[in-house]
Amino acid sequence: MFEVHDVHVAYGAVTALRGVSLEVKSGEIVCLLGANGAGKSTTLRTISGLLHPLKGEIVLNGEPIHRLTAEAIAKRGISHVPEGRHVFPGLTVRENLVLGASNRKGTGRDERTEDLARVFKIFPDLERLQHALGWTLSGGQQQMLAIARGLMARPHVLLMDEPSLGLAPILVQEVFRVIKEINASGGTTILLVEQNATMALAISQRGYVMETGRIVLQGSAGELLKNPQVRDAYLGGGKAA
Amino acid sequence: MRTEKTHRTTDARFRPGHLALLVGAVVVILLPLLFTTRYTTNLLILGASWGIATLGLVVVLGYTGQISLAQAAFYGIGAYAVALGTTRWEINWWVALVLGLVAAALAGAVLGTTTLKLGGHYLAMVTICFQIIYTLVTTNWIAVTGGPDGVSNIKRPPFFVPVNTVQKYAWFALAALWLVAALVWLLRDTALGRAMLAIRENELAAEALGVDTRRVKVIAFILSATIGALGGAIYASGYLYISPDSFNFDHAVAFLAMALVGGSASPLGAILGAGLLTFLPEWLRELQRIYLVIYGCAIILVIVFMPEGLWGYVKLFGRRFARVRHLPPVDQPIHVGGHGTPGEDILCVHQLTKRFGGLVAVDAVDLTVRRGEAHALIGPNGSGKTTIINVISGLYVPSAGGIRFLGHNIVGQRPSRIAHHGMARSFQNLRLFRELSVWENVLVGAHRGGGRERETEARALAAIEFVGLSDKAFEICRNLPYGHQKLVELARSLAGEPELLLLDEPGAGLNQTEKQELVRLLKRLNEMGLTILIVEHDMSLVSNVAAVATVLNFGKKIAEGRVEEVLRHPAVVEAYLGNREVALGV
Repeated sequence: MFEVHDVHVAYGAVTALRGVSLEVKSGEIVCLLGANGAGKSTTLRTISGLLHPLKGEIVLNGEPIHRLTAEAIAKRGISHVPEGRHVFPGLTVRENLVLGASNRKGTGRDERTEDLARVFKIFPDLERLQHALGWTLSGGQQQMLAIARGLMARPHVLLMDEPSLGLAPILVQEVFRVIKEINASGGTTILLVEQNATMALAISQRGYVMETGRIVLQGSAGELLKNPQVRDAYLGGGKAA
Repeated sequence: MRTEKTHRTTDARFRPGHLALLVGAVVVILLPLLFTTRYTTNLLILGASWGIATLGLVVVLGYTGQISLAQAAFYGIGAYAVALGTTRWEINWWVALVLGLVAAALAGAVLGTTTLKLGGHYLAMVTICFQIIYTLVTTNWIAVTGGPDGVSNIKRPPFFVPVNTVQKYAWFALAALWLVAALVWLLRDTALGRAMLAIRENELAAEALGVDTRRVKVIAFILSATIGALGGAIYASGYLYISPDSFNFDHAVAFLAMALVGGSASPLGAILGAGLLTFLPEWLRELQRIYLVIYGCAIILVIVFMPEGLWGYVKLFGRRFARVRHLPPVDQPIHVGGHGTPGEDILCVHQLTKRFGGLVAVDAVDLTVRRGEAHALIGPNGSGKTTIINVISGLYVPSAGGIRFLGHNIVGQRPSRIAHHGMARSFQNLRLFRELSVWENVLVGAHRGGGRERETEARALAAIEFVGLSDKAFEICRNLPYGHQKLVELARSLAGEPELLLLDEPGAGLNQTEKQELVRLLKRLNEMGLTILIVEHDMSLVSNVAAVATVLNFGKKIAEGRVEEVLRHPAVVEAYLGNREVALGV
């Protein structure tokens, strides 16, 4: 599906990525683990075109996309659900969702209704709240809205940055169930950044581990769950299995 | 927690210190010797007076983050005081100056007080109105101000050397500029200056840490107005003639442009900006008709391409000379928790209700937190947990019900007052002072303990050491990874030596290993006697830290008791935990 090849990124003088390479195949769920500041969010932001690499390339279905603007990349079917939700606070839930489809040209009213119906089926709460303003939603509802807005783009690839952040345990379970469903039903490819490594690995096929701007480890989800280094650094030692 | 141990703690800010003041003093002496024609000397005086007015904007805009488009009015108040004082009223120059400064301070207080609740474009509008009213009054109140004709034959200050030649007066004007710049620069490292920066960076967080944001904002306006008036007084006695045209809205905009072009957060930047905008039109004058076009374009280019102004470039250059700064050794351990009897009630929330319009976010909740306890407040998203924390810490006023904290009835008190009783809090979505260093962030938190600067610093040191950020103390918070930012917020709360700490999702965004580190810190704090009320969704963190839990759903309390019992409660499992084994990570 897409490949990140030896990407270097810096914020001014601060180097954030020092040669990141990873590959996500069509239909996969791949998770990206690592400590705070390791460069996981930066990797997602670079893939979606919010940042541009100093060196290296990103290829989507054979086409290099790392020089394109975020808008152009969104039009090619990569949708980014950012950390911290970034719901438009002064717009209604429905308006937030419709804006999610703005990467596609000339979507007709029928198509939009169909897309809305599809996401309302996954997130019934949002249908009830469709006329509420973004800022009035609770944290969990905002997260659902952010994911739903990402889906409105009918993405081929969904980049998700910490979707379980700040959610109640029951909603964390719900979010992971939804991610699995999106992947299984629509064949959407997902690259997932998560601090809850145990649950992320449970739904992923493969994973990468980042440290200080580099990929230091990769493998199948099962291998990573058993890896003593990973358990020690990200799964809270032996306890969480 | 994994950190790069090899990382050097360099101070990103260039601290020119006393060297810059010395260089400035030399420049003050040299400039009038270099600019010798009467015309250029006059420009020097004009530039110095404008520089002083712009330094006033550094305080109110650069430090405190409040936009003011009325600086020309304050500049005019100072000018008219000296002009009228030394001509019509025939009083001593210095007495007239003091009158002008007092009048400007009062006007600044009025403007500051009336705009307390305003920000952004509303504040800009009100200050513009103030400026326009000022111009109308000075133009039309002919009996006092002389109207559009202005005032002439203004006197110069009687001085220990007669300041009668233009060159000597230029020295005087530049010396005043130097002095004001030094004071504004020193202000940054005082408790007041840091409080101003904190308001600029995050007003809500500043208030919650005990900074009386209203008082500090009014003080900022007063200082800015007084400094502006001093600039005006120096202008009036430099040119010996004034008219309302020199203090109109155009000039207010020009002062703002000087601050932005130079870099509003720095005294040196303000002087650079004022100097450039004084001399640039003169240099361009040969271009005749198109000079205003070039002048305008130059300002636009600077603002677009140098968001930090000219100062931003000076800072980049200065970074090469920045020395590595280290924290002094910690000479006292962190002290939290106060001195009461363990087990006594320190926070009593009685029948608390909070409505937002028709929505009842919190519905008649009773909650008692005892001294020394770690108490968890849990419940589904949207169940009212954060609202309760916001009401307790004073950000919201309750719709009904009572709250007593350490015997004080705190309903309706401002967050800064409540903080001073001994309460500290963290925020769900970090509210750091992003452009300030870790050290400055924590110092603002340490102000609450009062005492001298040394004691404030000692508390901040202990708090930074406690969370393990000593090697990052001089980094700008914006550049830190999220996990470290969370620790900065914790240290900032602890530095004020609170008795009760409210934590709103401290574990969110940390990985499971980092959470274990957080659990260790919170347990140690609790053992030291700190009472903790924690909102958190990670049940393994909650059950490791807290002994007691209160569970909310739809704004109502649905369970309360010991954590392990509460987490088995069927209603809690159904509404909140879902799969209990997965939620607890067992």
